[in-house]
Amino acid sequence: MKPASWAVRVVTSVALATLAAFGLTAAQVAVEAPVALASNPVGYIRLAHFSPNTPAVDVYLYSFGNPSAQLVLHHVSYGTVSPFEPVSAGEYTVAMRDAGAAPGSKPVLSTAVSIAAGHAYTVAGVGPAAGIRLEVISDELTTPPGKALVRIIQASMQQDVVTVTVGGHELVTNLKFANATPFIAVAPGTWSVKATGSTESVTATIALAAGTIHTIVVLDEPGKLALDNLLDAAGSNVAPAGGPQAGFGGTAPRPGATLVPWAAATIAGLAISVSGTVMLMRRRRPALHAHRPH
Amino acid sequence: MRADTAAGRADARHVSPLRVIRRPWAVAAAVAGVLVVTLGGAGLSWASGTGRSAMPVGRPPVTGTPRSHWAAVSAPTAPAQVVPLPTGMVIPAIGVRTKLIQLGLAASGTLQVPADVGVAGWYTGSPRPGGTGSAVIVGHIDSVNGPGVFFRLRELKPGDLVYVQRTDGKMAVFKVTLVQTFLKSRFPTAAVYGPVPNAQLRLITCGGTFDVATGSYLSNVVVFAVLQ
Repeated sequence: MKPASWAVRVVTSVALATLAAFGLTAAQVAVEAPVALASNPVGYIRLAHFSPNTPAVDVYLYSFGNPSAQLVLHHVSYGTVSPFEPVSAGEYTVAMRDAGAAPGSKPVLSTAVSIAAGHAYTVAGVGPAAGIRLEVISDELTTPPGKALVRIIQASMQQDVVTVTVGGHELVTNLKFANATPFIAVAPGTWSVKATGSTESVTATIALAAGTIHTIVVLDEPGKLALDNLLDAAGSNVAPAGGPQAGFGGTAPRPGATLVPWAAATIAGLAISVSGTVMLMRRRRPALHAHRPH
Repeated sequence: MRADTAAGRADARHVSPLRVIRRPWAVAAAVAGVLVVTLGGAGLSWASGTGRSAMPVGRPPVTGTPRSHWAAVSAPTAPAQVVPLPTGMVIPAIGVRTKLIQLGLAASGTLQVPADVGVAGWYTGSPRPGGTGSAVIVGHIDSVNGPGVFFRLRELKPGDLVYVQRTDGKMAVFKVTLVQTFLKSRFPTAAVYGPVPNAQLRLITCGGTFDVATGSYLSNVVVFAVLQ
């Protein structure tokens, strides 16, 4: 009886271990199932100065309710645009002070901006010095497949109305100073971009790749117009289909189906050796019993 | 009882080897069984993917380029910056040191992958690493019989650094923000290939369950990183 029960225990524990192995595999598959991108609570903000006759300023970014600035941009002059800065989604305040003014002094201008995760915003000082205001301009982070997106910001006071063409096609007609167009989808290519005011015009050659987003700013320079091509965002010009096949399985944990033969072999082998052992012990038993007193 | 025990002991001492040999089928069964158990166990262990090795490398000798922050602003008429091409990559946390080849699209429209499982490649349809946008680098997790360049990619953690070498001799240094596994049937195309407004990096390999029937993994491991 004892060898037999020992054998039963071993077989049972091996079977349980095998089941546990299968259980683990099932758990791995289950863990794989959720595929939603972990919420990434980051949005983006950049600051700009588009007021031609306003002197340089210091720009402060405050997380709402926090009196110490999260970011400070010193001596920002007309035409300056900061890079996009990733920040936690939430409420912020942007304040402008005269360049060099004490950080605790009363700002010349301030505005609230609500930054949503996965979105981008440009906070710009726009308009003439006499009527400068801080504008929160929403940016775009997706393009139609195979297209570039372009937006025009009209920041010229000398030519207070401009018409902009891209590759000879009119993008916007009579865009007024301190205004912006929505984003417009454009076929990718290297284009001649022309801004024409009442007395001046300017032309620039601008490459617009598919999957990129541009803001083109019309600016005053002494006695002439200028164009600033801002690359707002860039992605792949063609998004490959699906996920890449980047493995051949040489190190793969095998799924349940392929564990079966190995588990079966293990159990079968164990059964064979146990039965062999039991047979051997049974054969020995009569010899033991022969010496037993009756 | 005492007699019984003593007799038992005596008998045990006197078990003749011949008695065993007289039943060769039993011996054969026991030995064969042990062999099969051993092989089966080894198979289980292999199939479960245990007992792996890694390729150790040292820290890269170069530190990051200083970050262009708020001080670096665009001049109104500055020409578009040309970002140097990537040539190699070092990821100290998982012992990766590889050159970077250039990859396009396969005929099927999927991302081309390196022919050599030991090297990674940059997708030329994506922005160059260090420039504005989401640069994409792909490498194999394994070959048919061993680890590939991105075998340990899934071990990366937020905060780990990725160094991309470029033709100008400088490094673009990225910090990992997210490591996630996605079923290929629900690959996050927009998050991986879509536009972003700063310099980011995506590292992609395979992962999850290997489907023997189709000879491919069911998931992709994607690492998201941002320029330091």
